[in-house]
Amino acid sequence: MINILLIVFTITLLYFVIANRLITYVNILAFQGVLLFGVAFFELHEINLVNLIFILLETLVIKTFAIPMFLRYVIKKNNITREAEPYLPNFASLIIVTLIIVTTFVVSNVINDPHLNKIYFVVALSTLFSGLYFITTRKKIVTHVICYVIIENGVFILSLAVGAEMPLLVNLGILLDVFVSVFLLGIFINKIGDVMQEMDISELNKLKD
Amino acid sequence: MLSFILVILVSFVFTGVVIRTKSIASGRKGPGIMQPMKDIYRLFRKGAVYSETTSIIFQIAPTIYFSSVVMAIMVLPFGHTRGLISFNGDFIFFAYVLALGKFFSIIAALDTGSSFEGMGASREALFSMLVEPAFFILIGSLGILTGYTSFHEIFMTFHFSTYITYAIGVLVTFVLAMICMIENSRMPVDDPKTHLELTMIHEVMILDNSGFDLGLILQTTNLKFAMYGALIANLFMGNLVWYFTIPLFFMFQFLFAITVGILESFSARFRMSHNAQFILVLSSISLLVFFVILMIMNKF
Repeated sequence: MINILLIVFTITLLYFVIANRLITYVNILAFQGVLLFGVAFFELHEINLVNLIFILLETLVIKTFAIPMFLRYVIKKNNITREAEPYLPNFASLIIVTLIIVTTFVVSNVINDPHLNKIYFVVALSTLFSGLYFITTRKKIVTHVICYVIIENGVFILSLAVGAEMPLLVNLGILLDVFVSVFLLGIFINKIGDVMQEMDISELNKLKD
Repeated sequence: MLSFILVILVSFVFTGVVIRTKSIASGRKGPGIMQPMKDIYRLFRKGAVYSETTSIIFQIAPTIYFSSVVMAIMVLPFGHTRGLISFNGDFIFFAYVLALGKFFSIIAALDTGSSFEGMGASREALFSMLVEPAFFILIGSLGILTGYTSFHEIFMTFHFSTYITYAIGVLVTFVLAMICMIENSRMPVDDPKTHLELTMIHEVMILDNSGFDLGLILQTTNLKFAMYGALIANLFMGNLVWYFTIPLFFMFQFLFAITVGILESFSARFRMSHNAQFILVLSSISLLVFFVILMIMNKF
């Protein structure tokens, strides 16, 4: 069951590449939260109850509802353009993300460590690298935050792979969510979208102190 | 032999069911299920008109297109029974016989000298080219999983045992259905109802065909639908006995036709520039299937 969830998670990455609108990005994030909830639920049944409830609440409440709702609110409030506007055409991005997934498969095969849970490793690593790639090819600041959440989902999957032995590591991964909310609050409070009309990182080059 | 007869039978009503589903979805009563066949029969009784600028290629292309699809249908197995043609690696034969027909329909479109038809031909060639890796990776991975290289043996030995095989089954069905829609130039990539030559793909290629040739091309589309439906049905039939498989086959074809109709009624076509990336996603998904299968086999 976990394998199916992780495969679907990889397909959401491919869908993220060809999606055009910001709302689709946010919906993908919410869906990834549900998937992570499923993975955590099936994986972590051996740790103590309080920890388990904490992790499940975190995936379901924060990742699936709180962050996507707040993102939608920020996008609406700051009048951010609804199109994603990547630098590269989606076709090229799709090839690159597919290559990233293939490369992580090959890398995990080369490492060939008996302690390594391969499917977790592959999905986590390809999520990390695709997230980094998305950040470099998207223009808007909001998209950067969205892609940061994707990277953070990758870290979460990686921590789940060892979560049964080290629950503390999962909790550390969760702390990254707090970091994301700080980003989001920054955008929200400073109203970057309103101040600069276009929420475009090329505008940030003009900033001086 | 059984699969050949059944696919031909299903092809008579397939488009009718699709059109009926679309009519019901849009609140109309719609034509009868046999109406597309009646149209084709009417076309078959007519003669063809050929433009003076065309050569012999234009005249033989519809026949080759039709016969290539008939040839591809012969390869398909049906449960226990083999197809009329069955040998190791016949899925490659299947793909390239279809490609031959497509090649002839493309050069026939170029032969007319019309600017619109060349444009449509270029699009059709691009989409077919992008679909091909998806198909080969998919059937190739099924071949790795089962250890055989012919359709009959692959489908006979493919079992739904663990939950991961169900996931593979769903993904394979999705990719095959989408390949069918793209090869037939249907909704997500092309709209058969469109009236503007600039946005057409398949329809613009057959603008110059008339009478008997047009009837052949239309019937080929029906056959292609039934062929891909049979491929999907085969995936689930496995090695059941014939009195289960024949009703199952018709049920799958009927469900597939309804799915196509619903998909066409409730989805908008993509922008032309978005088609290529959508088709490439199919290849990426088949690559995922490939990796999952490698993982099951403990080969990686």
